[in-house]
Amino acid sequence: MDEKIVIKNVNKFYGKKQALFDIDLTIEKGMFGLLGRNGAGKTTLMKTLAVLHKKKSGEITVCGVPIEKAKEIRAMTGYLPQDFSMYPNMKCDEALEYLGYLSCIPKIECKKRVTSLLRKVNLIEHRHKKVKELSGGMKRRLGIAQALIHEPKVLIVDEPTAGLDPEERIRFRNLLCEVAQERIVILSTHIVGDIEATCENIAIMDSGRILWKGTVHEILENVKGHIYTANVEKRFLPQIKNEYIVTGMLAQTDYVTVRIVSDSEPDLPNTVLTEPDLEGAYVYCLHSNGCDIVGGEK
Amino acid sequence: MMLFRKECGKIFCSLTYILYCLLVILMIISQYFIDSGQRLYPPSKGDYDYGEKIVEDHDLIMSTAADALTVEFLSNRYVCYPFGFYKAVHLDNEEQAKIEKYICEITGLDSTGIAEKKKSAEVCYITDGTHDYGEYAIRDMPISESMTYERFTDIMEDVDNILGGGSDYAVDGLVYQFSRVPMTYEDAVDDYNSIFNDDRVTNAYARLFGDYAGIVLAILPVFVAAALTAADRRRRMSELVYSRRSSSLRIVFTRFIALVTTMFIPVFVFMVIALIQILIRYNGSDIDMTAMFTLPTFWLLPNIMAATATGMLVTEILSAGAAILVQFVWWFMGLMAGGTAGLSGRIGKFTFICRHNALGNRNEFLMNWDNFVFNRVFYMVISIAAVLFTVGIYELKRGGSFNGIRLFGKGSIFRRKT
Repeated sequence: MDEKIVIKNVNKFYGKKQALFDIDLTIEKGMFGLLGRNGAGKTTLMKTLAVLHKKKSGEITVCGVPIEKAKEIRAMTGYLPQDFSMYPNMKCDEALEYLGYLSCIPKIECKKRVTSLLRKVNLIEHRHKKVKELSGGMKRRLGIAQALIHEPKVLIVDEPTAGLDPEERIRFRNLLCEVAQERIVILSTHIVGDIEATCENIAIMDSGRILWKGTVHEILENVKGHIYTANVEKRFLPQIKNEYIVTGMLAQTDYVTVRIVSDSEPDLPNTVLTEPDLEGAYVYCLHSNGCDIVGGEK
Repeated sequence: MMLFRKECGKIFCSLTYILYCLLVILMIISQYFIDSGQRLYPPSKGDYDYGEKIVEDHDLIMSTAADALTVEFLSNRYVCYPFGFYKAVHLDNEEQAKIEKYICEITGLDSTGIAEKKKSAEVCYITDGTHDYGEYAIRDMPISESMTYERFTDIMEDVDNILGGGSDYAVDGLVYQFSRVPMTYEDAVDDYNSIFNDDRVTNAYARLFGDYAGIVLAILPVFVAAALTAADRRRRMSELVYSRRSSSLRIVFTRFIALVTTMFIPVFVFMVIALIQILIRYNGSDIDMTAMFTLPTFWLLPNIMAATATGMLVTEILSAGAAILVQFVWWFMGLMAGGTAGLSGRIGKFTFICRHNALGNRNEFLMNWDNFVFNRVFYMVISIAAVLFTVGIYELKRGGSFNGIRLFGKGSIFRRKT
């Protein structure tokens, strides 16, 4: 069976409002990042892949199985929604067992997998803690464990690191990378750092459309020659933000080093063409597709 | 099986279920155990009142019903209980003429004869609480020799239709309304002996238990069912469950069976307690050891199933609050209908809350046994049908084709219209 997800000309409507426009994507084994702003249509696409939404038109096959075969797709897909919780009074292992039984896993096998997954997500010491006693990061890790309980071929995680502290975020990214050794993992996020740290293949979405798809290396190549740094006095910052797309700033003693995305060299003192980063590439992609990016970073 | 156990565990730990148990305990203790608190003793000779009994006497029915119909016709005021609610019906001239024609046919009198009865009758003034009105005291209407009981029931059926239903003349209630006679001492002794010989004690107590427990079990399960069904959404757990491999049929039916099982547990415990109480109280009597379990289970399970299915279905379509409201309206109408039926054995084919608020009167109950069996099986079948419909709704929600109908708040159907 081919281990890839093929999405062809997929359209999705909420009533009369179109949410996805002719989406075409092929997602291979390993980590795949779906990057886009809030409201870009990432969650809609994720839910469509998890059979929680129906597409209007187009074709989707998951490891060779058409998306219309919901039961088969559910059996091979693990899903961690953006906004989720579990029964607060259940203990961690009980919650996982419950979801395991809902995935039709026999009792003995289920108990084995619960122990192994809790170990994998580093929650084995908290297995008897109630869900309501877990921190945000622990809940997310428990979320990953529940999505893996039935050993799916595809793992879909939607905005998993939002609200996590830096340490938890790094831990979570590492966990995803580890999990992606054996399966397709789709990471949907608006946080560029998460994609940069974990994914080789990415797609950028906005307003229900795919703006760009390829490898991180390709998008960085694409933006070469459009990222500049300049050292400017602090008092000129508001004016510069209005005129250019500023993607980063580094405060020095008496000046600020700004990173600017621009088609041509900015008319600023000490401007230097610099090595591109994914954040700059992402912003450039949005900018070059006519997306509204007013004033850069605020 | 493991999923069933997990669902039961969820229910046992929920506050709604604990409250359900407390209310069931409170209601059964305060109603059944207080009412059945003393040992039965044989009736003593010379008592003022031994109660009433129903005798299926067609002559008596025709005679009493003819009196009642004439009284109501003369004052053009017919008391009805559509859906259990009191309603005084006043007919127009054309409908009154039809009723008069029927009275003439039943009694063999003509319009003049009826008018003479009216003239010679005393007028009693009675009140319905808000209005005083006069009623002709007529107790001796004749019955035409050519009138058969079959024709009489046809007429009564038509009269009930003219009155809009819910009248005393409804055919299935004629026996209960118009064929009651006072019990004699011998009747009371027979009734007492029947409890020991025919009912073997527990059958009589099982009927009383079913009567009292049936009232609470026709409403309380909806709270637990609605709370459990809404829990996934409230706990932001829906998508985790929706994306599982289990079919919607498996998820919904497992939850339904878990709900019915857990809610039956406190009832079962009380059945055991009631049996122990009977064994202690009637030590030495010939006691049926199974009746305290079989009859109440058959009586009460459909109530739990129906209220649970309503809770699940309406919560999936609308909300938990709407489910409780729907069940409350159904329960209230059922209770009112049960009340107007005299609380004793009059069980229709579709009576939701079956009543038999007496230890004796076995014969009255058995007169409706076929209706009772049909009724209980009917409610079990429609409960399962409702759960199957819930499965369909759940499947639609799971696939994103239906999100439920919001009555209030953001996305409410009323807001969308405005």
